[in-house]
Amino acid sequence: MISSIDQKKCIGCGICVDRCPLDTLRLDESGKAYIAYPDDCMTCFLCERRCPQGAITVDPHKEVLPPAYVTE
Amino acid sequence: MVGGGPGGLWTANQYKSRNPEGDVLIVDKGPKDWGGLMSLSGGDFDAIMPGEKVDDWVKDLVYYWDGLCGQEMMESLISGIYDRFQDYLDMGCEYLKDDDGNYKGVPQRHLDHYKLYVTKEKGYGGERMTNVLVKRAQELGVRRRGRVLITDLIKKEDQVVGAVGFHSVEGILYVIHARAVVLACGMTGWKSSYMKNTTTGEWLDMALRAGANVTNFEFGRVWNTPKEFSWEGQTTLLPLGAKYVNRDGENFMERYSPVFGNNTDPHYLTLGMALEARAGRAPIYFDVSELDRSKIDVIKPKHGWQVLNYHKMQDLGVEFFEDKIEWNPQLMCCFGGMEVDLQHHTSVPGLYATGTCTSLDPGVYIGGFGLSTSAQGGYITGNTLTVDLKENLPKIEFSLEEARPYIEALTAKTEKNGSTPKTVLRKIQEIVFPYEVSIVKSEESLKAAQEKLEALRNELDEMKAADPHELLKLIEVRGIYKVTELHIRASRERTESRGGHFREDYPTYNDEEWLAWLMFREEDGKLISYKKPVPLEKYRFPVEKHYFDNFDFSPENRK
Repeated sequence: MISSIDQKKCIGCGICVDRCPLDTLRLDESGKAYIAYPDDCMTCFLCERRCPQGAITVDPHKEVLPPAYVTE
Repeated sequence: MVGGGPGGLWTANQYKSRNPEGDVLIVDKGPKDWGGLMSLSGGDFDAIMPGEKVDDWVKDLVYYWDGLCGQEMMESLISGIYDRFQDYLDMGCEYLKDDDGNYKGVPQRHLDHYKLYVTKEKGYGGERMTNVLVKRAQELGVRRRGRVLITDLIKKEDQVVGAVGFHSVEGILYVIHARAVVLACGMTGWKSSYMKNTTTGEWLDMALRAGANVTNFEFGRVWNTPKEFSWEGQTTLLPLGAKYVNRDGENFMERYSPVFGNNTDPHYLTLGMALEARAGRAPIYFDVSELDRSKIDVIKPKHGWQVLNYHKMQDLGVEFFEDKIEWNPQLMCCFGGMEVDLQHHTSVPGLYATGTCTSLDPGVYIGGFGLSTSAQGGYITGNTLTVDLKENLPKIEFSLEEARPYIEALTAKTEKNGSTPKTVLRKIQEIVFPYEVSIVKSEESLKAAQEKLEALRNELDEMKAADPHELLKLIEVRGIYKVTELHIRASRERTESRGGHFREDYPTYNDEEWLAWLMFREEDGKLISYKKPVPLEKYRFPVEKHYFDNFDFSPENRK
């Protein structure tokens, strides 16, 4: 899931906000991207791939969901 | 056009190319021009090449789907997918060729004829397809809007004449006048965190309210994925020697299917995984120790999200092609969809459906199937609209006052103060994800799940939404609840096993009773079910054999 946006690198282009399929990201009052709805991320990496500044980091770990079965 | 994936884009482009004066609007709840799940797909495509017979492909599907195959529909779709393949080539997409210069076809699931053609742009093939279709839509003047969720269909004189929705960022209400509405919203599903978090099924609620018939909701798509990560491409690796093994290192699929072993549909693999878990032989691992090493350079992720994911896993110390990694079954989507005729009419005048929100396959999947059938289905739908809008559909106007009840039904959802949508979603997932409900079903487990779901209804009705984004999530979760309700109920009613539906208490197919689609419609707010027998008397191919017979999941074989 998305883990961070480096505010120093973000130039406020809004590409990540426009491209996120789940509307997870927004621009704040200073025009920088922030993670508005972290629970909605589906780990598609689109934001990290599209960021021209390399400001976004997505952790490859998926959301932990109720399992089909429990293993020890 | 509700949905801007392949079905919506192909429909819009085909209609607009034949009717330049026509006004076509695509609305999508995701970003404008994102292309739906097509943009996240690998981009492989099924195509019947010149010289091959459509009949052979249809017969493959009759066998693969254990007889539950709309033969005329599949003939209609398969007949045109080579032309759509050519269209993609003409628009700039590329596919792998073999040493002889022929497109490299990959046989699917041990079928005799059905083949998938592998994109040359592995990892971003779906993005390329999206880009070329969107470019074409722009050239044709198709209007597109993103972040608009359609929540209801407006009916007048028993015809769908428009739609209501809202912008999930700006909060603006939309009332859309439309002579025809096409649902191209993809499948339904449970937000299972594997690139499938957008196909939630809110279209199902509004389609049922409008009077449409739906089917195949007992068939869930249970995928197998690494426990902690996502991974695309297992069906490429399994034929090359990768295999699933249980806690004891046993290649258990060779026991369940000596004929196919691991090289089969993921549905059968996840069934094997669940049965092993219940026998106390979990965890299940993806074992690559016997993978054909000479092919690794070819199959390693190289592009798109897949290569990024792969490198990040390596950074965390996980070497996919060396380590034995735990994999789990994961319920993702439901195969259920709308009933349409060969021209993609629904049972409601003015309402059409195309792409994967029409249900074709009963729970067993073929790689590339969704992209190819959505392309041809959209193409057909565009042609149907060309005829209907000229000849068949009366133009019915409505006033804003007539739309008001639909708007009030939407705004009433913002006045609650209960649980968040995420909280309720989690509870739904806890009910439906356990293997006893999603994979190895029984009357006992399904009845218990149905009761738990019913107990959640009040909390569902009282969900709160703090802003338009949350309202979208709320409506998605209401859709997911409806999908779950249908999935569990249909699973209870189909008292047999077939395709992607396995009932432990009815462990084999029953053609006499159940060579039939289980249909649902809504009357006075209640779901009504009925059977629609497969009309073999008018079909050309009998059901002579079942793919299901290649497996033995009997209790004796689980020991």
